Amino acid sequence: MAQVIVVTSGKGGVGKTTTSAAFATGLAQSGKKTVVIDFDVGLRNLDLIMGVERRVVFDIVNVIQGEARLNQALIRDKRVDTLSILPASQTRDKDALTKEGVSEIIEELSKDHDYIVCDSPAGIEKGALLALYFADQAVVVTNPEVSSVRDSDRILGVLQSKSKRAEEKRDKVKEHLLVTRYDPNRVERGEMLKLEDIREILAIPLLGVIPENESVLRASNTGMPVILDAESVAGQAYKDAVGRFMGQELPHRFLEPDRKPGLLRRLFGGRAA
Amino acid sequence: MSSQALPETFRLRAGNFNLLVLRLLDPRPDAVLPALGDQFRRAPGFLRFAPIVIGLADLEAAPEEVDFRGLVAGLRALEIVPVGTTGGSPQMRQAAIAAGLPPLRAVGGRDSETEVAAPGAAPADPAAAAPMPAPAPPPVAAGPQFQGSGRNAMLVSEPVRSGQRIYAEGADLIVTATVNPGAEVIADGNIHVYGALRGRAIAGAQNDSEARIFAMNFDPELIAIAGYYAVREGLGGAPIGRPVQVRLEGEEMRFGPLG
Repeated sequence: MAQVIVVTSGKGGVGKTTTSAAFATGLAQSGKKTVVIDFDVGLRNLDLIMGVERRVVFDIVNVIQGEARLNQALIRDKRVDTLSILPASQTRDKDALTKEGVSEIIEELSKDHDYIVCDSPAGIEKGALLALYFADQAVVVTNPEVSSVRDSDRILGVLQSKSKRAEEKRDKVKEHLLVTRYDPNRVERGEMLKLEDIREILAIPLLGVIPENESVLRASNTGMPVILDAESVAGQAYKDAVGRFMGQELPHRFLEPDRKPGLLRRLFGGRAA
Repeated sequence: MSSQALPETFRLRAGNFNLLVLRLLDPRPDAVLPALGDQFRRAPGFLRFAPIVIGLADLEAAPEEVDFRGLVAGLRALEIVPVGTTGGSPQMRQAAIAAGLPPLRAVGGRDSETEVAAPGAAPADPAAAAPMPAPAPPPVAAGPQFQGSGRNAMLVSEPVRSGQRIYAEGADLIVTATVNPGAEVIADGNIHVYGALRGRAIAGAQNDSEARIFAMNFDPELIAIAGYYAVREGLGGAPIGRPVQVRLEGEEMRFGPLG
């Protein structure tokens, strides 16, 4: 049986799809057979970030409506051969997803995969609810910002009440906190929430902190999951997060502010003032 | 149009009261009343003009056997004022209504009565058909009362998250974790939060103005007791971030330190 992992946040634009792509790629790189599903029917971004947008023939809605078989819709990644992508449809809306349809897809993928990563749309409506419904584990993506933390808190409540595990009163969905776009310099200036404050409110185990980094935007625009950019700090941070997810004990990195600008400001900025 | 506003003649508010319950074990007023009069003659004034609720749950008799009118008249003669009934079968309650005794519903469900005894009363003789369960320590009439509210408590040990709403109906609410922004905790009784209270807390939801809110880290969006509320902006003087208890004094909210 595969582990179903939902990547969710409540709020939009915090890095769910970037995380889904990086995380699924990282899991696959470790040799686990992994599939990542785009639940954002109507918007469809995962294929772009994974760089497979020109290879999409069928999508999840086609499979649910019986217009295509599952393995016709799955796209095999060319970089990591244990990874495949099930894209979303851009021409339909989220009502085209049904619980029965998604259930069948998850069940079939479960047979020959180790991990099923579900990239949730923003919000707490149908698409998001379906993305988290079958989850065994959840990666809650949060920015160091008040509204993002509150939405993550909301989605954690939804996970506890609306997931299949909650409905069947089984062990609850295992929750992981992933803080993205963390800029220690701005945290120090009080412009962003501190990591401790986020952890205190959400009160779930910390999987990782991804620093704000230009490599993420570059990776998105070139259709390469940022985790494949081993030089970048964001790529390394995602690699650590995947390692921790698989049970490794790794220290958290990239949490300290950059000291150099402060020193320069003290030397030159101070004199000018 | 008259520029003069009409003077306010009344305000309608719900209130919770502690009432004595007279649990009937015998349907005959002439058996109950002398025993009752005898018991309370020893504590004069204890029940004088005290409102009392007649408990019907223990009464093993048919509704037509109970002389409610005679009972009401007899109690009034003893300067005890029966205000209603509790428990009993629907037929029994119907018979009581006909005698001017409406059924009352206990807050927090049944069996929320606490035992009481008249001050100075001798330990009751168990053989006597004493209508008041006895003996029990807390004297009702004298001094400060340490009576329990008779309420249950609801315990929540997970964080209460944004969008979640928890209602402790007829009970106190104890949260051992935090109440996050955007969450709402409501109780008919008191609210205790042992983590940070960052959401909304509404105590005494059935207009119990005695209800209080306790928080180890007081940082709420809104608090309310018995319908009186204050939003965060109006909490200027409150000790934010500290252990605090909130209570209602008249129509004013009071914030005191905890412990």
